[in-house]
Amino acid sequence: MTLFWLTLGFGVVTGAVLSLAAVGLSLQFGVTNFVNFAYGAYLAFGMFFTYTGQVGLHLPLWLAVIFGVLATGVTSVVVDALILEPFVRRGTSGFFLLIITFGLSLVLLNLIQAIWGVGFDQFQISASNPVRLGPFSFTPAQLAIVGIAAATLVAVHLLLTRTTLGKSMRAMSDNAPLARATGIDTTRVTRWTWFLSGCLAGLGGVTLAFNTVEFQAFTGNTFLFVIFAAVILGGIGQIYGAMLGAVIIGLVVNFAGLVISSAYDLDAAFAVLVLVLLLRPQGIIPTLGKA
Amino acid sequence: MSEKNEILEVRDLRRSFGGVQALRGCSFGVRRGTITALIGPNGAGKTTLVDAVAGARRPQSGRVVFDGHDITGLPCHKVALSGLIRTFQISREYPAMTVLENLMVSPQRQSGERLSTVLLRPSRFRAEERQHLVRAVEVLAEFGLYEKRNDYARDLSGGQKRLLELARAVMADPRLLVLDEPMAGINPALVDRLAEHIVRLRDERGTTFLMVEHNLDVVERLCDEVVVMAVGQTLATGTMAELRANAEVVAAYLTGGVPADVRAQG
Amino acid sequence: MGVVLGYVATLGVYFCVYNIFAFGLNIQFGYAGILDFTVITFMAMGGYMAGVAALGPSQPGSGIYYILGLSLPWPVALLVGAAAAGALGYLVGLIALRRLRSDYLAIVTLAAGSIVLGIVSNSNSLFDGSEGLVGVPQPMNGVLKLTPNAYTVFFLGLCAVIMVICWLVANRIYRSPLGRTMRAIREDLDVAEAYGKRTFRIRMTAMVIGCVIVGIGGVLTIWFVTALAPAGWGTSETFVVWAALIVGGRGNNLGAVVGSFLVAVLFNEATRFIPAISSLPNLIPEVRNMSIGALVILTLWFRPQGVVAERKARFFEVPLRTGSLEPVPMVPAPATGSGAAQ
Repeated sequence: MTLFWLTLGFGVVTGAVLSLAAVGLSLQFGVTNFVNFAYGAYLAFGMFFTYTGQVGLHLPLWLAVIFGVLATGVTSVVVDALILEPFVRRGTSGFFLLIITFGLSLVLLNLIQAIWGVGFDQFQISASNPVRLGPFSFTPAQLAIVGIAAATLVAVHLLLTRTTLGKSMRAMSDNAPLARATGIDTTRVTRWTWFLSGCLAGLGGVTLAFNTVEFQAFTGNTFLFVIFAAVILGGIGQIYGAMLGAVIIGLVVNFAGLVISSAYDLDAAFAVLVLVLLLRPQGIIPTLGKA
Repeated sequence: MSEKNEILEVRDLRRSFGGVQALRGCSFGVRRGTITALIGPNGAGKTTLVDAVAGARRPQSGRVVFDGHDITGLPCHKVALSGLIRTFQISREYPAMTVLENLMVSPQRQSGERLSTVLLRPSRFRAEERQHLVRAVEVLAEFGLYEKRNDYARDLSGGQKRLLELARAVMADPRLLVLDEPMAGINPALVDRLAEHIVRLRDERGTTFLMVEHNLDVVERLCDEVVVMAVGQTLATGTMAELRANAEVVAAYLTGGVPADVRAQG
Repeated sequence: MGVVLGYVATLGVYFCVYNIFAFGLNIQFGYAGILDFTVITFMAMGGYMAGVAALGPSQPGSGIYYILGLSLPWPVALLVGAAAAGALGYLVGLIALRRLRSDYLAIVTLAAGSIVLGIVSNSNSLFDGSEGLVGVPQPMNGVLKLTPNAYTVFFLGLCAVIMVICWLVANRIYRSPLGRTMRAIREDLDVAEAYGKRTFRIRMTAMVIGCVIVGIGGVLTIWFVTALAPAGWGTSETFVVWAALIVGGRGNNLGAVVGSFLVAVLFNEATRFIPAISSLPNLIPEVRNMSIGALVILTLWFRPQGVVAERKARFFEVPLRTGSLEPVPMVPAPATGSGAAQ
């Protein structure tokens, strides 16, 4: 029974990490309408920029995280403006954009390896005792992950519902030509979306690194299809669906690790992905007019 | 028995999308050998109806009977194999294939589409391929596209793409051709040519047509029968002259209003 | 002399093998428009299964464990490998081809690839885990008793023969009504469906035959290297095949050959012989991978149709009003070079 509660707790933590990454991916998909296969590299950027902030620039960890997250957002905008936007403007089909982002993942991941090396790194976090919360038991880092995720998701929700930018994003996500016709500056909104998507990926990467303790360039990329599974489960392009999907996948992965073997926990995410595609390909919350 | 004469019978078709009722009870018949028009204001559900008839969208209730067979809810390719071919609202040629190839795809149940035949018995499909080729060249000549046969379909003009769409459909030997706004966005001269082709196909091949059309002049000249739709329902059926006398139809078509409102006023 | 010959023959073998991979991917992507982002997994499946079919039973005391161990002759092992790759392709296709969206398909192939990689690496009893298979017998090596360099030349001949057979098969499919329908599905799946084409079945055919061909390339790989481990088949290897096809020209088997030569042989294999910088041992592979990714992006920008554009299908000219001639279906005409990305 203790094991059950522990696993449930870890599942929530994994779900929190996943939801940050999944919302970033889903948001960008909703606005630009193509999947970014280089997203795993953005997670890695988040980890390594933060690492540089802490180890290289001697920033306190919280400041290093902010630095890492913002730097990843900027990287994401730069990549979009220099590489993806020209193709989109030329009218390249989504089909080829997928190949381009796939190629981009190879470029960026190897760039990260060239800059930061191939070995495993870890953040300097002072070791402390687990905190007990009722039947649950968390490390302070895990509590921080859940807290950061919850705060960030509330912030994203407020951004989307309360600000002009957020409303423009939602309008583009629903119907891009209509949004353009109503006078929304779609280029600007698209760039902000990439920035936000990059920030969320960066934060997802940092929290993932907190959770796994050790990380290297490909840590985020092996996690990529788990993020896809969460996004598709939630309904591709659906922000709240992505949050829900992330929590479900997080729980499934941890319980599969408990029941079967931790070597096969990712396979459980794949099983969910397959089941969703076979039974309910539109996801929990379907995207009208996009499927 | 007028029913025997009907190649297509649609009975009380219903379909909604997330709370919006796109089709709320469509019933009509298409008589064999006619050109039947489907008219109605924008948003009346004409394209949804075409999709539901052709198997692209599954209706939630109702029946579609084609040539005596119930085809309700059958997948697209099975509907097509039974002899009902539909075209799309915007021209959807195979862009990076030549005009001739666009036609060569259409013949149904080609033996050369089976891997075993291709790898082990190529002579089997070559004879068939020759027949299709001769046929395709004839059809292209009929439609005045012979000179363009080796051009990529994407390089055709808008009007030529419309002709290609029809030529490609003819190659599939349909008994019923459902055209979704075949005249949209083409110049008046070409409208006449397309209309001539449609009449010729009906007279020469006995193809029945059901066409969604906005241009009422074209409908009047071309169509034997007209089905009027508004807000997801079929309102009336008859010749254009009969419909002009029908106040309800005129009101619905001009205002796009709900039939109930019209009835309340009448 | 022998060393140079052996080196050239080695590059020749890589050329043939990458040609085969590119033909397989071309049938999937170039013909049918299937985004297979895990080509190399099917190569591995072909290689492993041929390996365990040809190897003797795994010895309990050796610390090397693998399934089967049937000691089959090499032609049978080749068939086993090809069939296994095709079967895996069928399984992936069952999930991936159900959906119309090409991004779902790409996600499923990518996910399936990492799952297979995970299972093979973690399971010691399947193909000896992360150590991989070693000592796979080479075809006729025991019979011929050649020097290593001479054997490489012999093996190049074997690869060339198999490559040419794959090329002929791929071309025949391209020119058949099956290939034409595959391309029609690539251009517009909904329309092909509306014309009565069984799009799922035809795409599945493309998926499986592509995987079988890639699997054959995998068998040749494990024969040549005599070993295969999970470290040898990752995303970057998949991308080399993609780069070969995109740079050479998709939808066109000659393009696949040109691309394999440019990317896989000149670029990828030749740079392996540049001496590594001792302080940065990984820099050269990293720069190579980055360059291959960049090469694809630049090709799609500057010459989206590739070096050799997809050829326009030409039919034997049928004069109007006659039907008595002997037209040969589809004789390819010279490339026009006008094909842009759609």
